[in-house]
Order: sequence, then C-alpha cells, then structure tokens
Amino acid sequence: MATEVAAPLDGAAVRRWTRSATAARARTTLGERLSEAWGGFVTAGIGVAVAGGSLASLRERIALAGAPVTGTTLPASLTSAALTLVALAGVVVVLARLGPVSATPAAAAWWLPLPADRRSLLRGELVRLTVAAGAVAVLLALPLVLGAAAAPTAASVLGGLGAAVALAVAAVGGTALLQTGRRGRGVAGVAGAVAGAAAVVPAVAGTLAAAGGGPVGVPVAGTLPGWAPAVAAVAAAALLVQADRGLGRLDAGRLLAGGATARDAGGSLLSLDTRQLGRALAGRDRPPRRSRRFSRVRRPWQAVVAADLAVLARGRWQLGQLAVAAAVPVVVARTEGLGALPPAVWAGCLVGWGLAATAAGRAAREAHGAPELDRLFALSAAAVVRSRAVVPLVATALVCTLSGLLLGVGTGLLGSWALLGLAAVPAWAAAALRGALRPDPDWSGPVVSTPMGVLPAGVGATLVQGVDVGVVGSLPLLAALGTGGPTPLLVAVQGVWALLLAVAVLVQLGRRRSPGS
Amino acid sequence: MRNAPGSPDLLVVEDLSVGHGAAPVCAPVDLRLAAGRAVAVVGPNGSGKSTLLRTLVGLLEPLDGTVAFAGAPVDELSAAFRRDVAAVLDDDAFFVSLTGREHLLLTARGHGVAAAEEVVDAEVEAFGLGERADALPSALSSGQRRRLALAAAFVRPARLLVLDEPERRLDAGMRARLAARLAALRDAGTAVLFASHDADVVGTVADEVLVVGDDACRLLAPAEAAGRIAEL
Repeated sequence: MATEVAAPLDGAAVRRWTRSATAARARTTLGERLSEAWGGFVTAGIGVAVAGGSLASLRERIALAGAPVTGTTLPASLTSAALTLVALAGVVVVLARLGPVSATPAAAAWWLPLPADRRSLLRGELVRLTVAAGAVAVLLALPLVLGAAAAPTAASVLGGLGAAVALAVAAVGGTALLQTGRRGRGVAGVAGAVAGAAAVVPAVAGTLAAAGGGPVGVPVAGTLPGWAPAVAAVAAAALLVQADRGLGRLDAGRLLAGGATARDAGGSLLSLDTRQLGRALAGRDRPPRRSRRFSRVRRPWQAVVAADLAVLARGRWQLGQLAVAAAVPVVVARTEGLGALPPAVWAGCLVGWGLAATAAGRAAREAHGAPELDRLFALSAAAVVRSRAVVPLVATALVCTLSGLLLGVGTGLLGSWALLGLAAVPAWAAAALRGALRPDPDWSGPVVSTPMGVLPAGVGATLVQGVDVGVVGSLPLLAALGTGGPTPLLVAVQGVWALLLAVAVLVQLGRRRSPGS
Repeated sequence: MRNAPGSPDLLVVEDLSVGHGAAPVCAPVDLRLAAGRAVAVVGPNGSGKSTLLRTLVGLLEPLDGTVAFAGAPVDELSAAFRRDVAAVLDDDAFFVSLTGREHLLLTARGHGVAAAEEVVDAEVEAFGLGERADALPSALSSGQRRRLALAAAFVRPARLLVLDEPERRLDAGMRARLAARLAALRDAGTAVLFASHDADVVGTVADEVLVVGDDACRLLAPAEAAGRIAEL
C-alpha cells in the first residue's frame, strides 16, 4: 500500500483531471458538437414557435367564444396562478427526487472517497443544474409570454422570462439548501401535496361557486408587477449562494442515491421509455406495516386483482394523482374563457383522465416489467389481461364519474353529466392497460427526420399506445361538449363506443401476451 | 510492525444497530479493531454484513449505538476520515471514458501519493491487469473490473481497509494472492475489516471472526468459526 504522501488534489483539480482525461479520448469534433447544438437550437425554436402560435390562437378563440359549456366561475388569473404553482411544485418534486445535487455512481465510487473538499468537488454539479433549470424555464416560458399577451412588448417578454428563470433557479437553490441542511427528505412529498392542492382546491371552489350561482371572488393579479422579477432574482441568487456554502455537508450515501435516480431517469429519457422514467422518479413505495394476508382471495384472477390493489394503495403518488385527475377537467371547464371552448374542456378531460389512467395502470406496468409473476397463476394470458383490467376500471370509474358529476353542478343535468363521464370509463381503463403493456420502442427501424430530431420510424406510434385509445374513445364526449351538453343519445353512443374499443384492446392484448403469438 | 492484542483500538463499535429504514437487519454489534489486526465478518446472505460495513464507513446512519474511528465518531464528511479509511464495497461503477489505469492514477493523485505512476504500475502488475489496465472499463471482464476496484485500495495510504466480499468474481489464484497481500498489509500495521464467504481467505487474513446473525453477533477465533463458515 502506498505511503509516501505529497499534496492531495483539491476538488476542482479532481474535476479538471477527470475532464481532461475524458476529453483526450473524445471522438466528437468541435464541428460535430456545434452541429448538434445548432440542431437542438432549431428543434427548441420550432417547439417554442408551435406552442406560442397555439396559445395565440387559443387567446383569439376565447375572445370570440360563445356561451360556456357549464357555468364558469374561476377567474383566468386564478387558474394561471394555480397552473404556475403546479408547474413549480412539479419542478421541486423532480429536483428533490434527483437530489438535487447528486453524484453519479462513478463519481460516488471514485471522487467521494478522496480527501478533496466536497464543496469544490460538487460545485460543478450545482452550476450545471442551475443552467439546465434556467434553460428549461426559458423554453417553457417563452411560448407563454409570446402567445398569451395580445401585444407582447420587449419589456413584458423579458420580465416574464426573467421571472420564470428566477423561479426555476430559486427552486434549485431552495431544494439544494434543504438538502444540505438534511431537511430534504420530505420535500418531494410536500411539493406533491402542494401541486395536488393547487389543482383540487380551485376545482372544489369553482364547483361550490357554481352551486351558489356566483363567481369565485379571489383577487389574483393578472400581470406581474415590474419589480417582481428583480425580487425573485435576488432571492434566487441568495438561495443559490447559501446552497453552495452547504455543499460540503452533503454525505456520500444521499449523493449516491440521488445519482442512481438521475442515471435511471436520464437513461429512460434518452430511450424515450416513459414507463421507466415514471418508476425512476416515483421513488420507493410506502413501507407496509405488515404483509397482507389476502384471505379473501379464492381464485387466481382474484389474486391478480388483490395484488394490483395492494400496489395501487402502496404507491406514494397514485391516490393524489387520482384526485388531481378528477379536478383537471373541472378547473378547465370552470375557468372564464377556457370554459367556453368545447375543445379546451375536452382537452382538460383528456389530460385529467389520462392522468387517472396512468395512475391506475401502475400495477400493470410493474407486471409488464416482471412477467414471470403472472406466470405463477393458472391463468391464460387473456385472462390475466382481463383480471388486470379490474383495478383500472374501478379507479377510472371513480375519477371520470366524479369529474362528470362536478361538471354537471349548476347545469340542472347532474345525472346526465355523471353518466357521460361513466360512459367514457371503458376507453380509459383500456388505455391504462394498453399504455402499461405496450411493447418497447423498436430502435432498429429506418430513421426519419422529425422536428424532434432523427428518430426511427414507428417509435412515436409505439409511444402513443394507450393515450390513442383514450383520445379516440372520448370523441363522442367532444360532440356532447360541442352541442351544449349530454343527451341520452350521446351518452349511449359514448358508452357503446368506449366499450367496443375496450373489448378490442383486451382481445388484442390477450393475443399479444399469449405464448407463441 | 504488527500490533499485539490489547494495543489501542482504531475502530470501536458499541451496541451498534444497523438497517435500512427503522428495522435492524441483525442483532446489535460490539467490535474493537486495533491497527495491525484483521476481523472477518461472516454470515448468511441477507444477514446484514454489507449494511454493517456501509454503516461502519459512514455511508449509512446507525439506527442505534456508536461507531468511533481513531477516537472520534465516524464522519464520512471529514477529509481526514476519508484519507485514513479505504473501502471497497459492492460498487461496480466506473467513469466510462477513463481507462483502468486512469482510475487508479486519479485515486493515487487524489490522495497525494508521491510517485503515483510507479505505485499504480506496481499494483497493475500485482493484480494481474497488465495491458488491460489501459482499456476502458466497458472492455474489461467482470473479474477484471473487480481487480481494478481492489487495486484502488492499494494505490493509496490507509489506516483501515474495509472490504465487502473481496474474493467475489476472482479466480482461485487471485483469491490466494489477495489473501496473502491482505495478511501482509495487516502485518505492516493496517487494520483490515472484511466480509467474506471464503474460509481460506478468512483463515489466512483474520485474527477474529464476527459472526452476524438475527439473535446475536459474536466474535470467535478463526478456528472456532471455521465450522460456521462451512455451514453457510
């Protein structure tokens, strides 16, 4: 073992040494890197232009819209504030799950055991994270500040972008500061609860106001005061400086845990594996107090259902996700302006019920990742798929019916709205299963150039499996929203159409999972 | 150089309870390890050996009890602790763009080893890596990566060496050479703590054996523990 000791490398020197050794072996040229950066810039520009144009078009349609689909009671500024809060809380959840400061398994194994000061070792990670959060904030905020105002000025655009960047940087600084103070454990849960409340509270308030016949009287400023971005920037900088000072207090165990999550999430993102991305970011389930006895299980199909229920109940996020899922259509329909646009209300239903399908399909996704468990039961592949449909059916029934019921408050057609929601359930339950059991993307096909970069043909078609059935299965709902509300005929059409699609999906999934098919 | 039993303890573990979450994975542990002594940790799969080692090097918080190194509570955040304690646990992680030799050089230079290149060359030869040391980790076999990880513990100074099943993925010849090197290291004054399932490695290196179990964790002489290791 070596004993003669000179001056050890400090953190910055360790990072430089690793970077230079890596760069010496890099195969990409400067031209290739510039070309890739330009490609990314163009892709981002196209995305911003499309999103900004869509928002501008939405704003013009709202100005020309007629009567609302149901009674609108929520000021648009209140919904915007709630949406901002949801987005910010979502960012905090992701940051907290990733650390936010973390060490890749390689860095944990080869950097962290060195005597180098940890603050300078980790500073690069904090800087990268801050730059990335700022860039994402610009990309997301640009279409909003360009498309949401009738005549955006340079000052309003810069102010909006500055506020968005400051919020994102503050989120990084704040979560990193909590992490350095060893108070970061509950942050993701608290932020998730805030996001849930920001969606559910306006939905409840809007519904109660509709029942009472008046608008929600909450004063929310429609535009940011001019000094707000400056204050946010100062606060963000202060949080970041404090977080930087605490980097030396980050222990290797938690840095490694965050790094492992970041590696899984990054890999899933690169391979467009949204199922694995969800698993990586969801974290561990709630630990059970004791094992379930499954004493009521008598038959194999009941075992599948009981296992799926246990998975749903132990998930940290699924029950909150279902509550948010029921609230989203209501918030859209009750918001002034948006509520007068049937396609917008329909889109709200798709987003909310899609969220419900994602939550309800969690057990099926887990089963897809470990198919050997299903083979333990004396069930055909088709019977396993049918059994696995029970929990999504019950969960989406609760969500869709509740959404329908809340949409109907104040319209005099409470039962019809609830039935309309219920009628869409088979399509969304089938969507949950189709999304969970979809095949992995085939990366071996011929590549095509898309606005999102060069992708193999067919990858997109694989990724939308699940959502496609929900969207197509909800077309009668769009007709109902566009023609003034649910009629018995439209409810029946919705029910029959969704049921037919669901049967087709179950048959197809049963065949796909059968051995030899 | 080797200390006799009764010399000052480098590592002192008292009534230590370890686990993930709130549940302990084994009975409380009491252990004292002096410089120049070696303790093997044995027990069946899942008995808590790795969790115990991770706790002893500060990667996990103890559920209860205390761990002290050189008279101070174990603190992985302390540069002095990291300088004095080398650990090779069950990690198999490498920088994808650094060669094996560069990983070792980074470790040696990061610890301020004088003549780092010569030290690394010597360990590359000792661990039988030869020219493979200049390959990227992705081009190494599982056993070669394990040798590389073990070599990293030898290219730097340390007062305590902690290893989790060092014999894993090594061929019989390399196991024997590793055991001999660990024994030599112990004799030179380094404290060695390692988990193992290999009776030969335990017999060659360990002065005492900590048998980890649900009911009790007991320290035995290697001869007493031989039968227990054979049962596992």
